[in-house]
Amino acid sequence: MKQVKKISFWLLVLLLLILICLPGIWIFISAFRPNPEILSKPANWIPDRWTIYQFTQMFSINGYVSVPAFKYLMNSVIISSVSTVIAITIGMMGGYAFARFNFKGKNKIFLSLMLARAVPGISLSLPLFILFAKIGIINTSFGVILVYVAMNVPFTIWLTDGFFRQIPKEMSEVARTDGCTRLQAFWNVELPLAGPGIGAAAIFAFLLSWNEYALASIITRTVHSKTLPIGMMDYLDEFTINWAGMCAIAVVMIVPALILTFIVQKHLVSGLTFGGVKG
Amino acid sequence: MAEVKLKNITKKYGDVVAVQNMNLTIPHNEFLVLVGPSGCGKSTTLRMIAGLEEITGGEIFIGDQIVNEKDPKDRNVSMVFQNYALYPHMTVEENLGFSLKIAKVETKEIEKRVTDAVQILGLQDLKKRKPSQLSGGQRQRVAMGRAIVRRPDAFLFDEPLSNLDAKLRTQMRTEIKKLHQKLQTTIVYVTHDQVEAMTLADRIIIMKDGYIEQIGSPIEVFSKPTNVFVATFIGSPPMNIIDADIIKIENKFYFKIDNELMMPCLESKYDLIKDKKKIIIGIRSEDIVPQISPNYGSEFWNFNKKIDLSEPLGTETQLFFKLGAKEIISRMYNPRAVNVGEKLSFEINLNKVHLFDSISQKAL
Repeated sequence: MKQVKKISFWLLVLLLLILICLPGIWIFISAFRPNPEILSKPANWIPDRWTIYQFTQMFSINGYVSVPAFKYLMNSVIISSVSTVIAITIGMMGGYAFARFNFKGKNKIFLSLMLARAVPGISLSLPLFILFAKIGIINTSFGVILVYVAMNVPFTIWLTDGFFRQIPKEMSEVARTDGCTRLQAFWNVELPLAGPGIGAAAIFAFLLSWNEYALASIITRTVHSKTLPIGMMDYLDEFTINWAGMCAIAVVMIVPALILTFIVQKHLVSGLTFGGVKG
Repeated sequence: MAEVKLKNITKKYGDVVAVQNMNLTIPHNEFLVLVGPSGCGKSTTLRMIAGLEEITGGEIFIGDQIVNEKDPKDRNVSMVFQNYALYPHMTVEENLGFSLKIAKVETKEIEKRVTDAVQILGLQDLKKRKPSQLSGGQRQRVAMGRAIVRRPDAFLFDEPLSNLDAKLRTQMRTEIKKLHQKLQTTIVYVTHDQVEAMTLADRIIIMKDGYIEQIGSPIEVFSKPTNVFVATFIGSPPMNIIDADIIKIENKFYFKIDNELMMPCLESKYDLIKDKKKIIIGIRSEDIVPQISPNYGSEFWNFNKKIDLSEPLGTETQLFFKLGAKEIISRMYNPRAVNVGEKLSFEINLNKVHLFDSISQKAL
């Protein structure tokens, strides 16, 4: 009886897992087969012919370029990492300040930062477009980075604030009586202790930037600054949609994010629950 | 190796006064204990000496330098915290050597000093462990070791034993005392436990509501409390405090405790009380002696009372009874069973009675 219960439980888990993963699996399969086969009815789950045609096209091994995916990938990597580094640096300092210092209007500032997160990004697209066009940073990586930093800073502040709060304030006090300056105490004691949490916050910020579509679609205009999610739209023609190409570029997007998540999975979970108790 | 001096030190949090106009000189090599109930300003005082709390008014000297504006790191004092505050990501060894590493001391010298500290505190086998792998007592030792390696001018202890269980606390108390004798430096020690204060201190400061109530050696504050607060705070069980009226009968003064009991006043104290109507009497429980064969003489006073409760503790039995409206505790040192309701004869040596003013509560 117990055995049956166990087996049926795992069967249910498997079923749910398949359901959740199905779109992802479909994308992976479709990236490696010809376009017509994707549209066949009934659906063809196991491709008759596997091909890496879309990838060779994207990364122009045969000299013909369908979509400049390599350039998009580079844009994505640069924009995401630079904006993450900046956002986590500012967020770390801000989070530390909120956790450790008392200053006038502290709660109000914190609240307004959180409210900034609540504004739907798309509602900012028009003002941003006009503003960026006027000051001439439309269609530049710099512009996108600026937007992503603004988007991620409140988030990283909120997360790191929680992590620093978890560390007893005596840690820094004892370090300071041990001969550290405030900065040394932060660097030698509090930062290493908050490390996993800050790492988790950084990964979140990175993934947010990596996946962002709405604002990038407004600010980026050409291959010069387009990121992968925007580049995907290159497969959308007036009368046809190259589904296989789209799936292929989606794979290019998913794989790094997936690898990153696997690497930091442990930290992510511990980091999130760690910060979660903050109350 | 220096004297610590507090001059008119005041600390305010907004309108709330934590420490009021404190003056204090701690000579080199003294073990000074700050004791008082929660919120009396003792920890705040310690933290101001350490530099972790800003000073609202007054001056703090370490050696002959004013340190008001100095960072904690430049004051050369070491602090031991209640929750140990060991660096969790470092081993015992690294914890001990951390301050020296920051001060850029040579590796060889660091090793030597860490080894010394490890030996003093008996941590030889734990050098490579992380704090999470240590017991409470061991963590406490590491925390002290971390203070020792710096060779500071003064050690500051902030309730270092309150996180330990009773048995370990007694043991560590002895170790701290021994450590002080070995290291010969100034120690300022904060506690709310009067037993710790009595056993450790060269000098005790009793604080309340930001004020110093009394400064003195343990024996001094115990035998000559300057007011009712100190009298009841130091000593366990606390001193018995009784309100009484002063009555004059045939040129003799008596303290009328309740309707039936009149305690005579020693003639030597007539001058102190002759203008007063009311008084507060303080008697330590060991000075209320159950007596079978009473002593005779003008300094002895005997009375009979029914026992409400008796608590045998082994070496002594505590007897509870009522005097006036107050519950009184007496200590009996010859162990024998006492029944509730039994009437006993008690004797008080009037020389051991403390008298306090009924309004100012100060000792007369």
